[in-house]
Amino acid sequence: MNAITIALPSKGRIKEETAAVFERAGLSISAVGNDRSYRGRIAGIEGVEIAYLSASEIARELAAGAVDFGVTGEDLVREGLPGVDAKVEFCARLGFGHADVVVAVPEIWLDVETMADLGDVAADFRARHGRRLQIATKYWRLTQQFFSAKHGIQLYRIVESLGATEGAPAAGQADIIVDITSTGSTLRANHLKVLSDGVILKSEACLVRARKPVHDEDGRISQIIEAVRASL
Amino acid sequence: MPMIDMPEFAGDLLAEFAERDAERVNTPVIQPAEPFLDMAGEDLRRRIFLTESETGESLCLRPEFTIPVCLRHIASATGTPRRYAYLGEVFRQRRDGSNEFYQAGIEDLGDKATAAADARAIGDALGILKRVLPKVDLRLTLGDQAVFEAVVKALGLPHGWQRRLIHAFGDMAHLEALLERLARPQPVAGLDPDISAMMAAGDEAGLVERLDRTMQETGYSTNASRSPAEIAKRLKEKLELSQTRLDGTALLLLREFLTLQLPLADAPAALAGFADAAGLKLGDAVSLFSARLQSLANAGADISAMTYRAAFGRPLDYYTGLVFEVTAAGSTAVLAGGGRFDRLMTLLGAREHIPAVGFSLWIDRIEAARARQ
Repeated sequence: MNAITIALPSKGRIKEETAAVFERAGLSISAVGNDRSYRGRIAGIEGVEIAYLSASEIARELAAGAVDFGVTGEDLVREGLPGVDAKVEFCARLGFGHADVVVAVPEIWLDVETMADLGDVAADFRARHGRRLQIATKYWRLTQQFFSAKHGIQLYRIVESLGATEGAPAAGQADIIVDITSTGSTLRANHLKVLSDGVILKSEACLVRARKPVHDEDGRISQIIEAVRASL
Repeated sequence: MPMIDMPEFAGDLLAEFAERDAERVNTPVIQPAEPFLDMAGEDLRRRIFLTESETGESLCLRPEFTIPVCLRHIASATGTPRRYAYLGEVFRQRRDGSNEFYQAGIEDLGDKATAAADARAIGDALGILKRVLPKVDLRLTLGDQAVFEAVVKALGLPHGWQRRLIHAFGDMAHLEALLERLARPQPVAGLDPDISAMMAAGDEAGLVERLDRTMQETGYSTNASRSPAEIAKRLKEKLELSQTRLDGTALLLLREFLTLQLPLADAPAALAGFADAAGLKLGDAVSLFSARLQSLANAGADISAMTYRAAFGRPLDYYTGLVFEVTAAGSTAVLAGGGRFDRLMTLLGAREHIPAVGFSLWIDRIEAARARQ
C-alpha cells in the first residue's frame, strides 16, 4: 500500500488549530521520535504520514504532487499554482487562518474607490508620471489575474515585496499594494484603504488534496476527507 | 547564425526582405525585461522567460522583435525613414506549440505617408506569405482604432469617457462593461460629506489644501506619486463623468458600429452610410481609411478577400490605427499579424515622434500550413 503524506504547518497558531481540527476529526497525530520531530503518523490509519512544513512549502509540495494532502492558506495555493483547480481539490475550509487578499490604495486617493477608478488612474499614469502605476505585492499571479482578466487593466507594474508591503506606498516603492489583511488595522495604520470591489480572494486555511489517479481507488483518501469534514 | 536551424524557406524570406528594401538586423537574444513589461503590461510576465543578472537587473529571453528593433534604432541614432527586417528565434511560454520558435517581419519606421505605408505593410505581409504558401487561400482581417476613436468623438461624449472607451478598444468584455455603465450611471459612493460639500460648492482650491495638509500629517507627501491637485482634479472629473448617460440611440449606434463586419471593399460605403444615418461626422479617420484602401487597390491587392471588422483592435496604448491579421481560409491560426504603433517609439525613449507600422510572421504556423498544402 502506498504511503499517504499529509503536509501540515510546522509552526504558529495555524499549527495548533490544524492539530485541533485533526483531533476533533478523530485523526490523532503522534510524533515520530520526539515532540519536536518534523514527522508524524496518524494513529488508526495505516501508512498515513505527517510532514510538518512551512505554509508556503506546502503549496509548492502540493503543486509538485510530492504530498497527497496539505493544510495551508488558499491564498498561497492559488498564488503558487497555475491552473490550480485542475491540479488540486479544496476538500474542506477549516474555519481559521482567515485573511483577505485585497487591493489597497492610499486613503488620500479620494477619487479612487473602485477598480474602475483604478483603471482610469492606471491608464493615464504613464502620461502624468513618466512610468506605469506600481503595485507592491508578493501575489503577482493573483494580482495579474484580477487586474488583467477580471478588470481589463493591463498597464501597471508589479514590484515584488516580500514583507512590510503596507509600507511600500509611503516609502515610495510603489503606488498601491495587493496584500492580505484580516482586520484591516495594519492597512489603516498605514493610511491605506481597500477598494469597494477590491477583494481578490477571501482566504482561509483549507484541507487541499493533490489530484492523483492513485487516489481514486484508495479508501483512506475519502476516509480522511470525510473525517475532517465531519469535524467542522 | 547557423542556417541549419532555420526554417527551410528562410532563403525565400531573406530574398523577399531584400526585394522589399528592408535591411535585415539582428538583436541580442537576452534582453532587458523592463521595456516588454512596461509596454505590454504584467500580463506578459507569465508568458516570457525571465531571469536576473548578477546585479539584479531583470532580463528575459527575447519574446518578440518589435521592441528590440525599435530600441536598436533609437540607440543607433540614425535618421528615418528606415525599413528593418528580422528573422530569428523568440521565446515564450505557450500552452500549444514549442516555447522557442522563429519569427520574421518588417518594421517600417518614420514613413510619414501613413496610408501608403499601411498598405505597403499589408502588401508585404501578404506577398511574403504567398511566396512561402503558394497554394494556401489567405484571408486578411483588418481593424482601425482611428475609426473607432472618430465614432466615439462624434457621439459627443466627455473626454474622460472617450479616453476610457478608446483605452478598452479591442477588449470586448471591458468595452461592454463600460457601455453598461454609460447606459446606467451609478452615483459616486463612499465620499466623505465634507468633501461632497466642497465639491458641490466648486471649492477645488480648498480641497487641494485639505488633501495637502492630510498628506503632510500622515507623512505620505514625501514620496507621493499623485499630487493633491491631481487627485482633486480627477475627483471633479469623476463626479462629472458619473452623471454622463449615453441615451439609448447613441448606445445602439455604438453597439451597431462594433458589430460591423464586412468585405473591406464595401467598408468605406458602409462607414459613410453609418455616419450619415447616425448624423455623425467621422472626418479624417474615414478619409485615411479610404486612402489606405485606395493604396491597397493601386498596388493590386485583392480587396475582396479582405474583411473589415470594426471591433478589431489591440488594447495596448501604443497601437494607434491599423491592425491586421492573416489566416488560412478555414483556420484560426494567425500566420501574420501587424499594425500601426505610432506611440511606441516615443514611449521607448525616441525624442521625436516617429510613425511606425509593421508585422510579424509566425514561422512555425507557416511551416504547419506548408505541410498541409
